[in-house]
Amino acid sequence: MTRLQILRLVAGREVRERIRSKAFRISSGVSLAFILAVAILPSVLSDDGPTTYDVGVFGAQSDALAGRLPAVAELGGVAVDVRRLGDVAEGRRLVEAGDLDAAVGDGQVVVERELGVRLGFLVQEANRQVLGEAALAGAGVRGDVAGQALMPQPLVVRALDPESEAESDREGLVFFGTILLYGQLLGFGYWVASGVVEEKASRVVEILLAKAPPAQLLAGKVTGIGVVGLVQLVAFVVIGLAAAAAAGSVELPPETISVAAQVVGWFVLGFAFYACLFAVGGAMASRVEELQSTTTPLTFLAMGSFFAAITTGSDPSGPVAQVATFLPFSAPMVLPIRVAAGEIGLGAVLLSVAIVLVSIVGVMALAARVYAGGALHLRGQLKLRNALRSDRGGDKRSPQDERVAGTTEG
Amino acid sequence: MLELIGLTKRYGDVVALDGLSMMVGPGRIHGFVGRNGAGKTTTMRITLGLASADAGEVRWQGRPVTAADRRGFGYMPEERGLYPKMTALDQIVYFARLSGMGGPEAKTAAAAMLESIGLGERSGEPVEQLSLGNQQRCQLAAALVTSPALLVLDEPFSGLDPVGVDVLAGVLKTQVDQGTAVVYSSHQLDLVERLSDEITIIDGGRVVAAGAVAAVRRSRGVDRLKVALEGGRTAWADDLPGARVVGHEGDEVVLELLDGGDDQEVLDAARHAGRVVSFRREAPTLTELFREVVSS
Repeated sequence: MTRLQILRLVAGREVRERIRSKAFRISSGVSLAFILAVAILPSVLSDDGPTTYDVGVFGAQSDALAGRLPAVAELGGVAVDVRRLGDVAEGRRLVEAGDLDAAVGDGQVVVERELGVRLGFLVQEANRQVLGEAALAGAGVRGDVAGQALMPQPLVVRALDPESEAESDREGLVFFGTILLYGQLLGFGYWVASGVVEEKASRVVEILLAKAPPAQLLAGKVTGIGVVGLVQLVAFVVIGLAAAAAAGSVELPPETISVAAQVVGWFVLGFAFYACLFAVGGAMASRVEELQSTTTPLTFLAMGSFFAAITTGSDPSGPVAQVATFLPFSAPMVLPIRVAAGEIGLGAVLLSVAIVLVSIVGVMALAARVYAGGALHLRGQLKLRNALRSDRGGDKRSPQDERVAGTTEG
Repeated sequence: MLELIGLTKRYGDVVALDGLSMMVGPGRIHGFVGRNGAGKTTTMRITLGLASADAGEVRWQGRPVTAADRRGFGYMPEERGLYPKMTALDQIVYFARLSGMGGPEAKTAAAAMLESIGLGERSGEPVEQLSLGNQQRCQLAAALVTSPALLVLDEPFSGLDPVGVDVLAGVLKTQVDQGTAVVYSSHQLDLVERLSDEITIIDGGRVVAAGAVAAVRRSRGVDRLKVALEGGRTAWADDLPGARVVGHEGDEVVLELLDGGDDQEVLDAARHAGRVVSFRREAPTLTELFREVVSS
């Protein structure tokens, strides 16, 4: 059998058994529900356009107020539905019933509890303009001149560093992608660790090692689980984006495809790196219960990288971002953000990719060695140094172990 | 033909194997006997390539064993190992394919193997749902599915009920008849004596006795006399000049002849003491021999 045949055989088993497992189905369902919630909720929770106030007008100036309120509302970025009332009593009744937010006329405004800032601006400004116009008309100023004086052209806004809607959409997208990437790296990395320790705990590893070299067994396992993780990630990205677009949560910016492709591409590199480290964690434990302690340093590494990515999101060219770009464990999470923000040159990206690739080769060699050394270490947690020292798995069991393990009587 | 030549293995200061050599021919069933910690598992692991020897050589068909040879060996480790959540059939197919079989061939062979060991109807169930005895059968199927030229079985009978022992012994006989070389370890010495063509007894990593079972029994130790008198009387044997009592088995006194001792004189002494019901001269059993060689 060639190496490739063994790898495909082992990877094929991993894919089939993963997809069949209840744990995988449940975790996929939970993740999908979370993604759909993130994609759809913003559009459900966000207000549909500007706030609309229901305002009633009464009294002598009611026509003028009804005319002014919509223009003032537009200036304040809100909308208003104006209703003409017979008198203040009707206004009181409707405000009390909750049909109106406020009733204005005869120098007073009726509200339920208090006049909010925006509603206050709306009715006070309208009232000021109506009274001002009346005063100006009384002084003999023509209507259109008075109008201009009271309602001049609003100021033109010139922002020095404007945040476009597309940009904020893109940032949201990248942030979402980073969370997804982090979840997949950690989740499927843990699958690798538990897959390794399950084979040790069930002792099946001894038969496997009699059939194939440890490096190929490990490569097959990482590939198989990685393929499942990759397919799931692509599915999550496609479903998430489709749901977000359908619900109208975000306007998908033109870079969507490229951001998604980067997240997926960095998953491949990041997974290869993390999976090998998690395999080391698995090989050092001999029971599933011990995984917690052998993989904790890796969980912290991934979490630290995730926080570096969050920091990078708010400051894409800050010191954290600069350093995290060139560390193999954080680069996969930080790079998509920096590239999306346009805060990194091609040279730095290539250097970062090169660093990650070289690191992958290193951790693969380490993982294969520890896997071989730890695979037949079936009792108690293994020290990394001991796993590295042995030349082949079986050497870890001393004759004393065999004596302890003896189960039969002569 | 499997040849182990001068295998040596140390774990730190502990010598696990000390120049161990043995041979297993095709169509032969070879019992491998020794106390816990004598080096049986280490020997088997070195044979399978799971551990490396510090010195010595493993040869197969007259040349150094290769990785491809080893993939074709059937192996049942002492620590039984199966994937708990995989079905019996999938599992056997997987191991068959890892041994180098093609997909369709592996499926056919696995189904036939499970059928022959009585697991045909349960082949679709996850292994964790099978009884321990059936898991053991499944384990055996994993070792046998490719009809290997060499079978290495570490304590295959441990944990089996008498019916299971008979089933396994039958399966091994069938394999051996087809030309498979079988080497297995066991502490059930009466079983080893009954089942094996040859045996190797090791102690402290060294071979202390080896060869055909009958020859080993005869070559080592002294013949025993087993004498029973009517009424189960035994005191007559206590102070015989040419023999000493080494034990009692039911009504029988078990005696060992001393140098210059004569079995006919023992018989005369017995007849003098009463009516002799039975009188036998036997080579030591494997159990007796084992106690003798590993305690000396």
